[in-house]
Amino acid sequence: MEQKPNIRQEMQTMPHEPLLAIEKRLIGWSLIVGVVLMVILIFFSHTYFPA
Amino acid sequence: MEQNRKPLSEDWLSVWIGLLFFLLSLGVLVGADILGWVVTTSVWSDISKALAPVSKAYASVGGIGALILTYVALLAVLTAGSVALNADVKRFAGSFSVVFWISYLCWIVGSYANFAVTTPADMQKFGINWSLRLTNEGGFIVALIAGLIVGNLLPGLAEWIKEAVRPEWYIKTAIVILGGFLGITAAEKLSLATALMFRGLAAIIEAYLIYWAVVYFVARKWFKFSREWSAPLASGISICGVSAAIATGSAIRARPVVPIMVASLVVVFSVVELLILPFAAQMFLSHEPMVAGAWMGLAVKTDGAAVASGGITESLILASAAAQGINFQKGWILGTTTTVKVFIDVFIGIWAFILAYIWTTYIDVRQGQKARASEIWERFPKFIIGYVLTFVVILVMALGATPELTAKLRSAMAEANTFRGIFFVMTFFTIGVMSNFKRLWEEGIAKLAAVYLLCLFGFVIWIGLVISFIFFGGVQPPLVS
Repeated sequence: MEQKPNIRQEMQTMPHEPLLAIEKRLIGWSLIVGVVLMVILIFFSHTYFPA
Repeated sequence: MEQNRKPLSEDWLSVWIGLLFFLLSLGVLVGADILGWVVTTSVWSDISKALAPVSKAYASVGGIGALILTYVALLAVLTAGSVALNADVKRFAGSFSVVFWISYLCWIVGSYANFAVTTPADMQKFGINWSLRLTNEGGFIVALIAGLIVGNLLPGLAEWIKEAVRPEWYIKTAIVILGGFLGITAAEKLSLATALMFRGLAAIIEAYLIYWAVVYFVARKWFKFSREWSAPLASGISICGVSAAIATGSAIRARPVVPIMVASLVVVFSVVELLILPFAAQMFLSHEPMVAGAWMGLAVKTDGAAVASGGITESLILASAAAQGINFQKGWILGTTTTVKVFIDVFIGIWAFILAYIWTTYIDVRQGQKARASEIWERFPKFIIGYVLTFVVILVMALGATPELTAKLRSAMAEANTFRGIFFVMTFFTIGVMSNFKRLWEEGIAKLAAVYLLCLFGFVIWIGLVISFIFFGGVQPPLVS
């Protein structure tokens, strides 16, 4: 029978996994693309879709 | 045998049930008032005047008659729906009855004049000299508190009714119905509605590209969580709670317990947000109603809690404005919250696909396991189809309609919207029931909760507020003409 995992114990003994390069790229590019798109969106919304 | 049939998802079921009520309400257009018997609750000081059928054509049914008819109709429709879900039908019918009656009783209690009245004129009308000014939708908060009591203090009852404790099903059905109501509202001010929808795109960028990245970084770098825990946690906190955590867990092939734990945590925190943020919005953002609406959609996680908090926020802010003699039209604040939330939901499948691609290609490479583009559709929240359909149908019908047709459409959507309110109150009650604080604590989720607390109160709420101001600041709902 499958045993129910002990979450409390798992939290305490979780092995450290260093950030991989691909994770750093995912985080970095998400933020860069997010900020750039946000600026573009602010421009378009105020220029073409004024409320 | 029959039990082996593949169950319909709650997502699709909410589309069909929402469309059923929507289509029946359109009977008004051809002179058939099919849903006019549905019960509506008014602010009361004399209980005998609390309930009434929504349409005067059914006045002879009376308030109690309307309530019983509404219960029977919903019991029949949702029990039929439970068959499609492969639920235990007898158990569902019994559980649903408890959910319905407690929820509705809460709504009636919340509509008591001393709780609900908002303007001095109404206080005079009801002969009272104080009020909590919670509006008639304060019943939602009463329902939430009742749910929390059942979920945390009456575990036997919570267990017995769990077959009908389905807040996501109720809120998605409500959102499908809400589409039509927002369609008629948008038709009156199409340019404003278009501008608001365009601004809603900001929510997608914020949730997926900014929130997610920061939460994932915090969970991985500062709290040393593994990737298996960090990705669903980031999605749960940033995107849309339960469904996003589950979609992400599945995309990165996490063990089932991971998204389940994250989803439970999200529900509990949503309740906390639901109890705090609408009142904070009323206190600090009464002069910026649309900012408040967008903020609820960006800051409150889970569809149920977000749209529900939009509803409460709208009631509270409209009440504050009314007390100062400003009468904003109903629907715009809630519409902004819903637009923001729906836009965020649309991209869950795409985001899950991107994560699946990265995980299967770079992180957890296994022979023959690649992300499939078809997963985007599999994870698409289908209730959005129903919402868009009802919104567009009513918008198209209302644009350029004669005043007579507009009045009929408004009446039809008011009837459908009454069901929306009932699904809302059941959502509040069942969210409360699901939020078992004690059990979560026993599971040892303190560290997960710490990430959530830090991210939510450290930046999710504040970035959401800033972006709401940038995009929705200065935008006012139209006034009642």
